[in-house]
Amino acid sequence: MTAEDKSLEQQLQEFVETAKESSPGAPGRDPVNRTMIHHWCDAVGDNDPIYLDEELAAQSIHGGIVAPPTMLQAWSMPGLAGRGPSLPEQPLDREAAARSAGPIELLHEHGYTSVVATNCEQEYKRYLRPGDALRTGGSLESISSEKKTALGDGYFVTNRTTYWDQHDEVVAEMRFRIFWFKPRQPEKP
Amino acid sequence: MKSLPDTLNYDDVQVGEELPELTIELTPTVIISTAIASRDYQDVHHDRDLAQQKGSKDIFMNILSTNGFVGRFVTDWAGPNAVLKSVSIRLGVPNYPYDTMHMTGKVRGKERVAGEGTLDLAVRGANQLGDHVTGSVRVVLPN
Repeated sequence: MTAEDKSLEQQLQEFVETAKESSPGAPGRDPVNRTMIHHWCDAVGDNDPIYLDEELAAQSIHGGIVAPPTMLQAWSMPGLAGRGPSLPEQPLDREAAARSAGPIELLHEHGYTSVVATNCEQEYKRYLRPGDALRTGGSLESISSEKKTALGDGYFVTNRTTYWDQHDEVVAEMRFRIFWFKPRQPEKP
Repeated sequence: MKSLPDTLNYDDVQVGEELPELTIELTPTVIISTAIASRDYQDVHHDRDLAQQKGSKDIFMNILSTNGFVGRFVTDWAGPNAVLKSVSIRLGVPNYPYDTMHMTGKVRGKERVAGEGTLDLAVRGANQLGDHVTGSVRVVLPN
């Protein structure tokens, strides 16, 4: 391990040590809604009537349409334009954004520019219904030492996320691990 | 009047029981439509040129979609009144287009948790490269 690598690992661990639990942020762009549920069920090929059929869902223990629980993250994804529920009044504070993305920025600077998700643990407190407006918060839980894998060398970064509803009740919790790595050079055609 | 399909009863499920296999044909449409339905616009999930520039053989399925297929696999078997409590998955090899994912699973344990009949399921989704996903699911069934 070179001195530079060591200092990178130390800097990464400092991010973990100083990580604070963030409070619930702004709601996702759209509340839980049937249109997105339809897109999801069509793509995944899920024909469960509790997600799709009002008459049948009314006969279920839910008493009406609910969202697939495994769709959880879709409600908080930034989407193509990275927009929230309203257009921002202030221009984006890029410096603040860079700070919050601290360890990822640092990994990028050191050439760890590719990412794959490796683990996802979700716990559901209740099923979500159309109209639920979710907010998320969480914290950086851990960063591994540098690992060698078939994809390349890199670091596993683990985050925890809590999902709250519009009544400030926790509806779900998630632990999500991603691997930032230096891609192996693709073969030249 | 239409009626809701049946749901398995907790007492009727035995530890060691296997779930019926679910086969997912991994067409480019499946990989791209699931990524977009989960609002994941990372280029590696829809743009082959950029995926290859980043060292990948092709586009590949995102983890949110894998999670969705695991959920479907369990509730297709258990029925509409089964309630998913947790899904924990670990990804192995990627799901690339033109492969097939074979999903299998079995009941690893069962216990009543606060009066709720809860199953612990072991699940696996394998393609021709190996295990794409392994994981566990907790699901509550009616008594």
